[in-house]
Amino acid sequence: MLLNFDRLGAWKWILLAITGLTAAFLILPILFIAALSFGSSQWLIFPPPSWTLRWYADFFADPRWLEAAWTSFRIAAIVTVLSVLIGLVASFGLVRGRFIGKEALRALFLTPMILPVVVLAVALYAFFLRIGLNGTTTGFVIAHLVVALPFSILSITNVLEGFDKSIEDAAVLCGAHPLEAKIRVTLPAISHGLFSAAVFSFLTSWDEVVLAIFMASPTLQTLPVKIWATLRQDLTPVVAAASTLLIIVTIALMLLAALVRKGLKS
Amino acid sequence: MALLTDTSSSAGAVKSRVVRQYNFAQTLPALLLILVFFVLPVLALLLRSVMEPEPGFGNYAELLGTTTYLKIFLNTFIVSALVTVVSLLIGFPVAWALAIMPSRLSTVVFAILILSMWTNLLTRTYAWMVLLQRTGVINKTLMGLGLINEPLPLVNNLIGVTIGMTYIMLPFIILPLYGVIRRIDPAILQAAALCGATRFQALTRILIPLAAPGMVSGALMVFVMSLGYFVTPALLGGTANMMLAELIAQFVQSLVNWGMGGAAALVLLVVTLTLYAIQLRLFGPARIGER
Repeated sequence: MLLNFDRLGAWKWILLAITGLTAAFLILPILFIAALSFGSSQWLIFPPPSWTLRWYADFFADPRWLEAAWTSFRIAAIVTVLSVLIGLVASFGLVRGRFIGKEALRALFLTPMILPVVVLAVALYAFFLRIGLNGTTTGFVIAHLVVALPFSILSITNVLEGFDKSIEDAAVLCGAHPLEAKIRVTLPAISHGLFSAAVFSFLTSWDEVVLAIFMASPTLQTLPVKIWATLRQDLTPVVAAASTLLIIVTIALMLLAALVRKGLKS
Repeated sequence: MALLTDTSSSAGAVKSRVVRQYNFAQTLPALLLILVFFVLPVLALLLRSVMEPEPGFGNYAELLGTTTYLKIFLNTFIVSALVTVVSLLIGFPVAWALAIMPSRLSTVVFAILILSMWTNLLTRTYAWMVLLQRTGVINKTLMGLGLINEPLPLVNNLIGVTIGMTYIMLPFIILPLYGVIRRIDPAILQAAALCGATRFQALTRILIPLAAPGMVSGALMVFVMSLGYFVTPALLGGTANMMLAELIAQFVQSLVNWGMGGAAALVLLVVTLTLYAIQLRLFGPARIGER
């Protein structure tokens, strides 16, 4: 009765109302920011007195914003490649290996996901100050790689566990080199796992704020760091424009992921 | 047998040892990364808490003996508990509705949940900074309706942090709870109805107890994540409402006091790992902190 939608009676409407309000609560602020980025009011008055592209023009005219966006993209791209490569090799070891401490190792690889990121940020900041990696692209990449790798390992071990290894063995029996069998038989079969590993890794780095705040220098900052620094000064609508661009990138990646998933299924 | 480059039960002992080493070697790049850039730096930071400025537990004595710091601990706890309770109160009916509503409707709600989860954290926090400010939409609407005469202070206080953090945490409680309710057999509730239970009895005596493990596990997860949150409290909470993560950052960035920073980090780490261990003991491995 309580788990049958049509037999809930009046309760059905209460549940629907709560769900509708919650959905509105979750989506409206995002739409609100997107709308304000086209509004003419400097003080973010809503509804805006008139519409304008001024804040986007400001964004694209300011080399600091563009540079931050480019830095974000560059770092996220490098992190994605490394995270998928290292994650792929490690997943083969974790899924197919039978060595002592395997489960402990798997747990260790996932710990960066549960540790408060501020602790890692402060710890890496101290370490990088000592070895001179602070404010460098390498420093950024390493920091983001540590938090992106768990997502990569999770996605890839997941698909690899579902892959029947005897298919790869059959290819070897037919004369393929073991490595060739892995590349031409196994990799295509688990490509959707690799793809989600790539998307998760990219978005993890692209959206990351806390580590980035500590890794940044006045001359090297990512888009989230630039937004953070700007927000500490004032709530300028340029941030709304930058935010909307970030939202568009996220939606595009999510749609791409959904399309690829659909394409792989059919 | 040459084809068996990986493990196999039929391979000889020597071969399987070679294979074992080969499989272990595959995890080495990841292991090296995690050891050098995760385990080592965190341990080094914790070590500094008992080494600087002089060896001993002076930093911990100061941290746990100063009213200002104790107030920050208390505030962190209050905010996290408040966010957890509010998220659970909203999250349970939503997860319940999602589990039973027609898939046309639930697809839309899921899309919104996922979009919200993947929208940049700063963007979402910024949206609430704008919405909740003195001249923001919420104050204007309330004044327009004649409910208040003066703008309410909604940012830089407990209300602001709670709204902003609940906004971020809701998907983390709705999605796992949805999975739990989904797995409950509707026949059990039908049986209750046949035996004469009212809706309210069925809810409090059957549905809620059956969903309780999911609620506790989701609540623990939200609580743990809230304890370590940095960005949202820093932007929406104001200085009077500082939370632990911000305190750690301040020790290190503004005060350059590594000893105290390390000590505060250890406190956060111990609390987090303890609660996580409880979660693991009670419910088995869950996918914690997924974004």
